Amino acid sequence: MIFLLLCFEFAKIGLFSFGGGYATLPFLYHMSEIYNWFSLNELSQMLAISSITPGPVGLNVATFAGFKTAGFLGSLCATMSIMLPSFIFVVIISKMLKKFKDSPILTSVMYALRPATAAMLAAVAFRLFFESVVKFHSLSDFYFKNIDIKALLLLFVLFIISLKIKKDPLIFLALGAIAGLLLHFNHILFIIPHA
Amino acid sequence: MKIKLGELFLICVKIGALLLGGGYVIVPLLVNEFSKKRNWLTREEIIDFYAIGQCIPGIIAPNTIMLAGYKLRGKTGAFCALLGLIFAPFLAILTLASFIGILLQSIIMNDIFWGVNVAIIILIILTVKEVWSVSIVDKITFLLFVSAFLMCIFGISPALIIVLAIMFGIVRSKMPKGGAK
Repeated sequence: MIFLLLCFEFAKIGLFSFGGGYATLPFLYHMSEIYNWFSLNELSQMLAISSITPGPVGLNVATFAGFKTAGFLGSLCATMSIMLPSFIFVVIISKMLKKFKDSPILTSVMYALRPATAAMLAAVAFRLFFESVVKFHSLSDFYFKNIDIKALLLLFVLFIISLKIKKDPLIFLALGAIAGLLLHFNHILFIIPHA
Repeated sequence: MKIKLGELFLICVKIGALLLGGGYVIVPLLVNEFSKKRNWLTREEIIDFYAIGQCIPGIIAPNTIMLAGYKLRGKTGAFCALLGLIFAPFLAILTLASFIGILLQSIIMNDIFWGVNVAIIILIILTVKEVWSVSIVDKITFLLFVSAFLMCIFGISPALIIVLAIMFGIVRSKMPKGGAK
């Protein structure tokens, strides 16, 4: 039965993929090869859609793939089963955390984990900066013309705003979206004659 | 103080709808909703959940919010938080599944995400600034930050960095000086 197979396959992904949403991708590519659920090409399209809709990419692709395979119920099966292993682990880990709350080992582990986590977040910002603002991937292809001046300007303005006002993340996302539209206003003008 | 499951669910729906551009945005969103606005959790706790969320199987953002949900209301809380988080993305995917082609060609959509991507950099910088004050407390933690940052930049898997940090913490607690802290 297709639903059981879907559940089993997606639970397997949930159990074996660690880290960001992209960690699920190798499994999905493998899946498209062994089953006739969706083609490689369809998978790339799903990935594109999933990365621009809200939510973690891995989860979105699972929803999408489930939908492609077996409709609404399929997407429900895929989403729920990809999260099932994590849910079980969360319950176990949370119980352990409660039990060892005041142990010196846990305190010391957290003392070391926090800076590492902060560093990884900083590294994400660093990487995103080079990907979407400076457009610079290695030393050999560094050109000043590759720098997206508009993005740099927007980044600067948003940074100034962040220093001045109380920050609700929503404000920055909304400002970014509006700026994206306004700064590329020529696209809107050009769409009509070219269509 | 008992937190209402309905309220928890709705906040998580909001977080899920705003979760754009990668799982790490979960940190500023959680800090804002659970810590700043409501005082349910401390910033430190959220950072810890995010760190732990990376070492358990699955996807980081749902892992983090489930750990937070568990802390607030046990198993039901974790489940509620998860349902809330996936609610909006799930609906969005189901809706969009029908008109893929049009959307993929949309330049306007690309422009919007161009701006959102820049905003996300700011969100993460703000988070790092906040996390910094509670996590970089002495020279050792500063060195840990620098080495983890460099490892991350050079493409070492986050899971490995977390495991190394955990091992460092365990070793440190076994040493006489570290244990006395």
